Amino acid sequence: MPEAYVIATHQLTKRFGQFAAVEALDLNVRAHQITGFLGRNGAGKSTTIKMLLGMTRPTSGTGTLLGRNIEDPKENCEARSSIAYVGEDKQLYAYFTVSEIIRFTRSFYADWRPEVAERLLVDYELPPKRKVRALSKGMRTKLALLLALSRKPELLILDEPSEGLDPVAVEGLLQTLVRAASEGTTIFFSSHQIAEVERIADRVCILDHGTLVEDFSLDELQQDYRRVTLGFATNAAVEAFRMAGIRHIRRAERQLSVLVRGNADAVAEHGRSMNAVSVDVAPISLREIFLESVQSES
Amino acid sequence: MMLWYKAWRESRARFLLSAAALTVICASFVFFHRDASSGISDEPLSYAVYIWRITYKGYLRELFVILAILLGLGGLTRERDHRTVGFTLALPVSRWQLLATRTLVGLAEVGVLATLPAIVLPTLSPLIGQSYPSSQAWGFTILWTMVGSLIFGMGLLASVLFTGEFTAPVAAILGLMGYSLVADISPMDSYLTDIHDVMSGIDMPYFTERTGLLSWHLPWHTLVAVLLAAASLIAISARITNRQDF
Repeated sequence: MPEAYVIATHQLTKRFGQFAAVEALDLNVRAHQITGFLGRNGAGKSTTIKMLLGMTRPTSGTGTLLGRNIEDPKENCEARSSIAYVGEDKQLYAYFTVSEIIRFTRSFYADWRPEVAERLLVDYELPPKRKVRALSKGMRTKLALLLALSRKPELLILDEPSEGLDPVAVEGLLQTLVRAASEGTTIFFSSHQIAEVERIADRVCILDHGTLVEDFSLDELQQDYRRVTLGFATNAAVEAFRMAGIRHIRRAERQLSVLVRGNADAVAEHGRSMNAVSVDVAPISLREIFLESVQSES
Repeated sequence: MMLWYKAWRESRARFLLSAAALTVICASFVFFHRDASSGISDEPLSYAVYIWRITYKGYLRELFVILAILLGLGGLTRERDHRTVGFTLALPVSRWQLLATRTLVGLAEVGVLATLPAIVLPTLSPLIGQSYPSSQAWGFTILWTMVGSLIFGMGLLASVLFTGEFTAPVAAILGLMGYSLVADISPMDSYLTDIHDVMSGIDMPYFTERTGLLSWHLPWHTLVAVLLAAASLIAISARITNRQDF
């Protein structure tokens, strides 16, 4: 039986004139997991999310959201009733008060949980009678999160959710996301805060220049990914390392740094057979994979 | 229900200010009848002609046109500028629903603005010893509401096509002025009716300029055509909105 994906895209592309914001994206997000969507600013994360939610039309390719076609306005609308979303702007209607926008949002969703909304109102210290326009950026972010987290959606999509929050609020947010996931909500969140992703994500997708460059679980990161550092007596030849599992190779004169997935022993052995004077195999962090992926692609 | 409330809250300030302005101006036309009357004509005017010339043909008509355009502005394009469009479009409602709600609220507001002179003029005129027939005022209300719908549609279309606080209203006003100019040029005047003239009855068979009074043979065919044109503009706006990227 095929695995259930809450988000699935096939060759999804968005072009603005000659510029490809998202290019042939094949993205699969599994149900009941926390998936971190990592990428630098301008990598195409927000454009991808906007296409998924029907805000922007794909130039080509297809996609489904909770099994519904993202390009069909009716199906997309149906999917959105089971999705909570916090956009990167976190801007809300300035003319509403905090309690008015809570009432407004609540009216659209059957899965609204008033007790959670009340708790978050207190936790986030949001003044119910204050107009949204009078809230600070941090408070607006908290209000946007309250509107999403007060529901029990199938899928929670967050675009840079911690931006504008102080460290205490970030900690609270991460705990809330973990709790929501434990209650069965699938979470898909974009970020460039690697530490946050590493703390709570089950799976990580790395996007660069609109293309998916890595997709792995954090378990796979620990078990399969290694950095093999090879020292040579003379200048190292990158061309000699065309092997399965090699993700990226970086050369610094007589040293090769090889990022390997699942084939580190064979790469190390190949290095020795190429007369490497030193061979070092070490685990790798998410930060290193991220930097390696986006720097080598640029 | 809350979508209606949102549409109302977004246009409330514009609408209430517009209503207040129209009411105050109508009232001042009544109370300053003598001074204003001598200002617009050297010859003595009957009260009905005075009201027609200063209200239904004059400044108030132009103000109503601008207010109807302003009530058509807003929507998703403006929300994109205010960066709330992501929140709105993530709601489980279609763009069509969003536009329909905004349009119906706006049309209702245009109708209310068109009704205000019909309430204010007949009510206040007796206070200065004059009378203005309610039937006349309501006749103009029908004309203003119908034509106001078309003008609202122009504002709506401009708000869909143009971003920026001032671009859309300027574009709508220029479009309206352009239409009026073309409609007044021969031989186009044989095919097009100037909607300003429809509102005030100038050179229309259902209005007598000498008495300043409408007959009750209103131009129903023209009004139906105006409503169809308004519906077309709204439909075009909806179609464009459905295809826009935000």
